[in-house]
Amino acid sequence: MLMNFDKLGAWRWILSGICALMALFLLLPILFIVALSFGNSRWLIFPPPGWTLKWYGDLFADPRWLQAAFTSAKIAAIVMVLSVAIGLLASLALVRGRFRGRAVLRGFFLTPMVLPVVIIAVALYAAFLRLGLNGTLVGFVIAHLIVALPFAIITISGALETFDPAIEDAAILCGANPWEARFRVTLPAISHGLFSAAIFSFLISWDEVVLAIFMASPTLQTLPVKVWTTLRQDLTPVIAAASTLLVLLTVVLMIAAALIRKGKSR
Amino acid sequence: MLSFLTPARRGSGLGMAMPALLLLLAFFVIPVAALLSRSVTEPVPGLQNYETLLGSATYLRIFFNTFLVSGLVTLITALIAFPVAWALAIMPPRMAGVIFAVILLSMWTNLLARTYAWMVLLQQTGLVNRMLMATGIIDQPIQLTNNLVGVTIGMVYIMLPFMILPLYGVIKKIDPAILQAAALCGATKSQALRRVLLPLATPGIASGALMVFVMSLGYFVTPSLLGGTANMMLAELIVQQVQSLLNWGMGGAAAFILLVVTLALYALQLRLFEGKAR
Repeated sequence: MLMNFDKLGAWRWILSGICALMALFLLLPILFIVALSFGNSRWLIFPPPGWTLKWYGDLFADPRWLQAAFTSAKIAAIVMVLSVAIGLLASLALVRGRFRGRAVLRGFFLTPMVLPVVIIAVALYAAFLRLGLNGTLVGFVIAHLIVALPFAIITISGALETFDPAIEDAAILCGANPWEARFRVTLPAISHGLFSAAIFSFLISWDEVVLAIFMASPTLQTLPVKVWTTLRQDLTPVIAAASTLLVLLTVVLMIAAALIRKGKSR
Repeated sequence: MLSFLTPARRGSGLGMAMPALLLLLAFFVIPVAALLSRSVTEPVPGLQNYETLLGSATYLRIFFNTFLVSGLVTLITALIAFPVAWALAIMPPRMAGVIFAVILLSMWTNLLARTYAWMVLLQQTGLVNRMLMATGIIDQPIQLTNNLVGVTIGMVYIMLPFMILPLYGVIKKIDPAILQAAALCGATKSQALRRVLLPLATPGIASGALMVFVMSLGYFVTPSLLGGTANMMLAELIVQQVQSLLNWGMGGAAAFILLVVTLALYALQLRLFEGKAR
């Protein structure tokens, strides 16, 4: 009876109520920022006395915001490509490989996900100070790649596990060479995994705050670093405008991910 | 059928793991090891950094804050997540789909955007204070940011999905027939809840709780924006030592303590989880 929604009686309404409250708790702050970004109160009074696009105007008038957004996109795109490529190779090794210690290797590949990112950030900061990579694009890409890679490996190896290698063998028996079989049979078959890994990697890099704070220099910073440094000074509504655009991007990527899943199930 | 062909054709496959392996060795293992080694070599060789960290009231207070906030966040998220995950597991799929969409949207919304929302909501003149005053619960604004109350609220908001999702997975797998059997044997709803559903959901609660607790211990962004410097947590201490004070020895020692606690709890999680699978 406790596992049947229709037979819960009064409990059904209590559970639904808790669920609705929790959903509101998660949703309202996000809607709140969106509303604030269009409100004309400098002091973030809610509900706003009137509506304006001033904060978006300020945002686009300041070249540093655009510059930061462009840097973020560039880093995230590079991280996405590298993370999927290295993650695909690593997943092939983990799922198809025939060497000892694969389980240990898999655990090792996932450790950057488990460790507090602040430790990785401080450690890389120290290393990059010596290598002269602080405040460079390469430094950002390496740092973000370390934390994005585990997610790519999980997603791609998950997709590979559901693909029967015998199909690849069949392609070879039909005359394909091994690399041709891999590129034209296996890769299309796991494309949904590769797309999900790409989206995850992009978003992880795009949203990364802690590593980025340590990698940034006054001349090279990503969008989260710009938000962070602005936030530490004051709570200007310009951040609400920037956040709203970020929420919009999240929604678009989530819809894309959902469509990919749908395409896969067909 | 033809898998006997594969070893000869593909080799061992270890070579394909090399790019990831080398990347992680060069930019993860070696830097972290170097950081930790500085805790016993700087400014002079010895354990004095650890003695300072564990021997002074200032630093012990930071450890206390860290464990207190992480514990509270874990407890509150578990209390909210259990009924939510239970409802999600049994409600009509369309309704559950809407709730899942909200959870995912919140999870994937930029962390700074979410923390910013709470900084605005919780400030002295913010919506939360004004609503509490309008309903007569308080007469004047109470301090909700720059203290651990703000940090706890902000962290519960961020950690909630990480508790709901694993718990949902466990509850969804429970066979409804077990609870029907409990009902047939005369158990009331609250008896069935306490003696059947809760024990069966315990692995999910334990694994979600450990994950949230571990993630909270090392959290940096939300505590530093909502907590202020007077109420520091461990991750902030590490950053402060390294970035403002350039004290790599102390920073390394604090990082080492965080690392040991994290890995110990993670190992516990693996043990509990694997023990369950067998």
